[in-house]
Amino acid sequence: MKIAVCVKQVPDSETRINLAAPAAKLDQTGFTRVLNPYDAYAVEEAVRIKEARGGEITAITVGPETVRETLKKDCLAVGCDKAIIINDPLLAGADDAAIADVLCAALKKDNYDLILFGIKAIDDDSGQVGILVAEKLGLPHVSTITKLELGEGTLTAHREIEGGKEIVDCPLPAVLTCQKGLNEPRLPSLPNIMKAGMKPMQIVTCADLGVTPPAALVEIRQYSPPPARGTCRLVTGDDAAAAARELARVLNEEAKVI
Amino acid sequence: MSGYRGVDFYHFDRCLSDEERSIRDTVRRFVDQSFLPGIRGHFRDGTFPLDLIPQLGEMGLLGPSVKGPGCMGLSGVIYGLICQELERGDSGLRSFASVQGSLVMWPISVYGTDEQKNTWLPELAAGRKIGCFGLTEADHGSDPGGMETRAERDGDGWLLNGSKLWITNANLADVAVVWARTPEGVSGFLVERGMPGFSTNVIHGKYSLRASDTGELVFDNVRLPDSARLPGARGLKAPLSCLNQARYGIAWGVVGAAQDCYDTALRYAQERKQFDKPIGSFQLVQQKLVTMVTEITKAQGLCLQLGRLKDDGINDVPLVSLSKRNNVAMALDCARMARDILGAAGITDEFCPGRHMANLESVYTYEGTHDIHTLIVGAEITGLSAYR
Repeated sequence: MKIAVCVKQVPDSETRINLAAPAAKLDQTGFTRVLNPYDAYAVEEAVRIKEARGGEITAITVGPETVRETLKKDCLAVGCDKAIIINDPLLAGADDAAIADVLCAALKKDNYDLILFGIKAIDDDSGQVGILVAEKLGLPHVSTITKLELGEGTLTAHREIEGGKEIVDCPLPAVLTCQKGLNEPRLPSLPNIMKAGMKPMQIVTCADLGVTPPAALVEIRQYSPPPARGTCRLVTGDDAAAAARELARVLNEEAKVI
Repeated sequence: MSGYRGVDFYHFDRCLSDEERSIRDTVRRFVDQSFLPGIRGHFRDGTFPLDLIPQLGEMGLLGPSVKGPGCMGLSGVIYGLICQELERGDSGLRSFASVQGSLVMWPISVYGTDEQKNTWLPELAAGRKIGCFGLTEADHGSDPGGMETRAERDGDGWLLNGSKLWITNANLADVAVVWARTPEGVSGFLVERGMPGFSTNVIHGKYSLRASDTGELVFDNVRLPDSARLPGARGLKAPLSCLNQARYGIAWGVVGAAQDCYDTALRYAQERKQFDKPIGSFQLVQQKLVTMVTEITKAQGLCLQLGRLKDDGINDVPLVSLSKRNNVAMALDCARMARDILGAAGITDEFCPGRHMANLESVYTYEGTHDIHTLIVGAEITGLSAYR
């Protein structure tokens, strides 16, 4: 089985963002970069499938050359077989649609049975790229999966929905986006970290893939710090009934929410 | 995740390879995910997290720089980085790995027969067997040459009598590397649990290294086959060469403990307010933080150079002594300063500095006391030994 896992390098969730005033760009100096945590579920699931059925896993990312270390440590060292970095100055400021286009171009270079993504990247929280890729490739997709069973040429995926879960059957090839709970990602062992350096890692441009990224449909104009948190007001009264009456009045007349 | 990032004020990360950084970060994640959630309980209860031993083996953290069957033979710098991250968790965790790797696997790999290597190294590397190292005795610490444990020829084997004290992993060990006086000088023996006459006792009531097993080894007419002897190890130089390996790991390890203390104190100082300001804005607190980050940075430089020298084949005892001596004292000072910055909160096990401080009191003494390392360096530079 041939599996592609599309991953992204993101700032560590503990990163402190220095943004005193609104700005068009974030100062990213000193950011520690890690594999997007949701992508780790996708990588782990791919490795488990390979361990159970055999196959080959390709990790694909769009990003600067500095993603090498993350790909080696968190993809190749845990069981992916090769990695492709799509690195091109044309992709500076690319939006989700453009990223999906170039990923599609890379994915079309091979015949993958399964294409896995994390449900979203924790930096922009957009969660669109996986599904855009599926649509552009004309493949079925199941998003937000928490359990996966593979059959012969088919799959059954469990996905989270409001207040319950949905069980979806779908033919292969397919695109899946992986949610927390799908598995527990492993840590790489030292021998595998050492061996990861020997696995093939290809750096390609848009021209190599024969794709011209479309102009961005989305423009980021400004980053601004979240508003300072308001103060908390304690509603009191002589007894519970009086406090409840006062709360209802405040919600109705002042907050105007009921 | 704790959000711990370590200290890299001088960009030493730039001097590390991709593999070195990746291994360091992976061990850091292992400590965050698997070790730290349980450390308070283990420290309170005086227990070692036995359930983590298989994972330590699977990840390759036991004897990573040892060469031999089932071993990886990675660089000294990688071994040092691993020790640093393990000791950021707790000195007890690093001690476990130091003993297994440097004091049990290393002597077997260097002084053992092929049969001993094939029997023990793959099992020890995988964490399926645990080892301990018996050199120190109740009456012979800094002067191990005075040891009283003896092995006498007995037919085609040996008869071992005596006892060893302050032995890390004593009660967990399947095999003990035991040093004994013989008619041919000091020799090393592999003593297996279950051999008649071999028993171990737990040392209770420790203030320090509580999440580590410490005990006594007792040998009462233990009959050993000649195949239990490490044939390559002759004289006191052999056990001392093991200690030199372990001290190297300590020199790195304690810098991890120091960084944990500094990191904790720094965050606390940025958040804790007195007189309507974060205490980190006060000059006296800043002076302490600056002292800590400066000393940690200097120690990191020592470690990296010590490691690169080791990987070039230069691992002289005085070089290791200088780093062990400096870095342990530095880490202990950092733990105390961090405890001070944390105020009353610093005396509880809610925060790490008190635990590191208590642990580091042991580390200051074991594997060559601070004073003995002073005299080793003193002898090196003057050519005059203070104790011989």
